[in-house]
Amino acid sequence: MDRRKFLGLGLAAAALVPATTLNAIDFRGTKPDAWKATTPADAIKGMYGDITPIEEGVNIKAPKLAENGGAIPIKIKSDIQAKSVALFQDANPRSAVAVWTVAAGGIIDYSVKIKMKQTGKVTVIIEGTNGKFYSKVLPIEVSKGGCGG
Amino acid sequence: MKVKAKLKKDIVKVKVLAEHINAGPEEAEKKKIEPNFITSIVAKANDKVVFEVSGSGFISKNPQFSFSFKGAAKGDEIEVTWTDLKGNTKSAKKKIK
Repeated sequence: MDRRKFLGLGLAAAALVPATTLNAIDFRGTKPDAWKATTPADAIKGMYGDITPIEEGVNIKAPKLAENGGAIPIKIKSDIQAKSVALFQDANPRSAVAVWTVAAGGIIDYSVKIKMKQTGKVTVIIEGTNGKFYSKVLPIEVSKGGCGG
Repeated sequence: MKVKAKLKKDIVKVKVLAEHINAGPEEAEKKKIEPNFITSIVAKANDKVVFEVSGSGFISKNPQFSFSFKGAAKGDEIEVTWTDLKGNTKSAKKKIK
């Protein structure tokens, strides 16, 4: 059967199909509140609603002391079967930094360089395919702030 | 944009370096430029989306991303595209080594 037609049969049918492909999800467009929030708690709420994440299964690797707050390397790893991964911090005017969509059977092994204006904490939330949420918070000391500061 | 993609065992490791000012509103004001940053990056291999991220101005200037995925072979092509706040887009293609 034509895959497109098949998916066209409706959400119920689509939900049964293992998603081997992904459509580009623009989280900036679909979750505008998450990107305006000034605290990680509000940003998480804007992104995922009222959730109580489990503090396990998420691995963040980052320098304890970042000399250059303009480019702090952050690595996120996890074995959780996930739908999405979101990165927040509490050092900048707004909290949301990046949100990844995880491909079905995808590997969570991301790295990115971020800006932090001052010493603060990064928070990673992983949205599992099982509907549960997982989190980890990691403090990072910044000696010279990013964001052009 | 620079893209590197390397197959190791059955996992393809990809590194992306996008040349972009990537400045949020506060930073742009200080630098007296217009705010603009990469809002999304999508990577495809064999017509499948293998990587997707929504970004912000708090990702470093000239954003660097790396990621891994399964399901592609040596010689397959990976295409990475970014879109910024102003709607500019840029794509780069690279064969998996």
